[in-house]
Amino acid sequence: MKTLIIGLGNPILTDDGVGVKIAHQLEKVVDLSAHPDLTITEASAGGLRLMETILGYDRVVLIDAYYLKQDQTTPGKIHRLSLDDLRFVSPTQHSTSAHDTSLVTALDAADQLGYQIPQDFIIYAVEVENILEFSETPTPAVAAAIPKVTSEIIKELSLKTR
Amino acid sequence: MERITIDPITRLEGHGKIEIFLDKKGNVENAYLQIPELRGFEQFSIGRPAEEMPRITNRICGVCPEAHHMAATKALDALFDVEPASVVKKLRELFYSSFYVTDHTVHFYALGAPDFVLGPDSDPATRNILGVIHKVGVDIGIQVIECRKRNHEVIKMLGGRGIHPVAGLPGGWSKAMTAEEQKIILEYAKQNVDFALFSLKIFDDIVLANQAYVDLIVSDTFTHETYYMGTVDDNNLVNFYDGLIRVTGPDGKELVKYPAKDYAKHIAERVEPWSYLKFPYLKNVGWNGFVDGVDSGVYCATPLSRLNASDGMATPKAQEYFDRFYETLGSKKSNGRYAPVHHRLATHWARLIELLYAAERMLELTEDPEITDPNVRPIMTNTPTEGIGSVEAPRGTLTHHYKTDENGILTDVNLIVGTTNNNAPIAMSIKKAAEGLIKGGKVSEGILNMVEMAFRNYDPCMSCATHSLPGQMPLEIQIRDAEGNLIETRSQYVD
Repeated sequence: MKTLIIGLGNPILTDDGVGVKIAHQLEKVVDLSAHPDLTITEASAGGLRLMETILGYDRVVLIDAYYLKQDQTTPGKIHRLSLDDLRFVSPTQHSTSAHDTSLVTALDAADQLGYQIPQDFIIYAVEVENILEFSETPTPAVAAAIPKVTSEIIKELSLKTR
Repeated sequence: MERITIDPITRLEGHGKIEIFLDKKGNVENAYLQIPELRGFEQFSIGRPAEEMPRITNRICGVCPEAHHMAATKALDALFDVEPASVVKKLRELFYSSFYVTDHTVHFYALGAPDFVLGPDSDPATRNILGVIHKVGVDIGIQVIECRKRNHEVIKMLGGRGIHPVAGLPGGWSKAMTAEEQKIILEYAKQNVDFALFSLKIFDDIVLANQAYVDLIVSDTFTHETYYMGTVDDNNLVNFYDGLIRVTGPDGKELVKYPAKDYAKHIAERVEPWSYLKFPYLKNVGWNGFVDGVDSGVYCATPLSRLNASDGMATPKAQEYFDRFYETLGSKKSNGRYAPVHHRLATHWARLIELLYAAERMLELTEDPEITDPNVRPIMTNTPTEGIGSVEAPRGTLTHHYKTDENGILTDVNLIVGTTNNNAPIAMSIKKAAEGLIKGGKVSEGILNMVEMAFRNYDPCMSCATHSLPGQMPLEIQIRDAEGNLIETRSQYVD
């Protein structure tokens, strides 16, 4: 099964890059030679560009930061979501940003156009605290989630480690 | 179930929160697009080697990393006082033109076109790229995806990496182009020209052939008479990569033309008590509030601005469309220049003309025999002190300014990002759209669509300002009374 693990975010924006850091960690520990069908990468792209990146894979694991309002967030809390969860939370399918569409809209567009979109979609999201300040170091609770999510993904995908 | 708020996409873009302030009578007094402010970029950069900036600053933004990469690289040229070889300039401009093709494509098809293809009054649930595909046909969608795909391939080929390019060096470019790459890119560039012409045809068929849309474009609601900024070449023709920054007035007269290094002499920033955004304005005209006219230092830096600030396009087909643009919108030519078009919605058309120019320019540069010259990496010998570089980002003039110690370690960093230039005109456009729909404290239906159209044409990118994560609404309008109390919130999402 052609699989893509993709860490999303900005690695120089404190907690924003938690997904990228998890992807880096996986790259370090996973025995890639044992998994010729696996690609691990990072991106700071949204909607269309992200959709374009994941076309052609059977299975995609997205790792992303998850920001709630200050009083609702539990930094470091890990969520495992499906594509339907994303669909559920973007009810209007309208563009969610000034210069892109939502991933769900982009995938629906690809589907309508006859592109093969990945059948298997796994999303790991880590609740974060600080996404407005430039730093390469995540806050402690978020940093602590990095090995946890790394192990979860290794377990879920039955990956061989080095 | 409670509405959760995960969408890996909003993360990159921030949320378009509009704040509208009413006066005592309940009419619109001020309006602005709120963009969360990122903090600490300067501190983050200080103490690092300046050569890292092209790779660091392209991380600021997920939408136009290529623009930051290029502005940073040009700032390094200046910092190390090294003049890039002709082939280096050409490779950079080629890379940058390919980026422009992708960026303008996504804006038109995914963001601009839905308002026209589906209609400004259509249901927000269908007013998106899916609606466009549904109405105009699957073939268009495939062309859009294919266009982006081949240009991303070019960006990767020339820039060294797919999303965050790494090729920019002081005075150089890390990788020469092979003859094989040239052949591939040549084919892609030709396809881009066809695609741009096809896109302009769609604009003709859907927008210009429909009198109601033409009326909307030229309506007073979407018209502002301001100064315009854009980079021009030696012949005063539009250039995205290099040249002098030219500012022309609402009357079409040139106010000033200056090299990027002089930006601080010409641009100042206004701070307002009701917003943490800074509003850049023309220093030599002065700040006279959020108003139109020759006495107001408000300027705009968009595709429309670049066309208005220039005398034309440097490629033949784009020039034909340039003429048609001004003729169609009733502009008269005097002393070799068209009078500016002030209709903000015409920016969508201007963007497509720029798309065609970028495609044609890409073709010209690829055909240039010098483009495969392998001498792309100069030796630097000068001691760095200070450097300023600028390019035209798709959404406005982008300036990077660095100071270093004698070892090239950064001591000071200042960036003026594309969208920031347009903070004041965006506020004015939102205000004007809102004024028609808020009277005596009463808010009419349709305000979201009108306000969205008012700011959408500027293609504001909030990524430079934030990577706000899931949980934000795509568009939220907050209306506050004269005392600043929140009296009403409207948003695009349905619960």
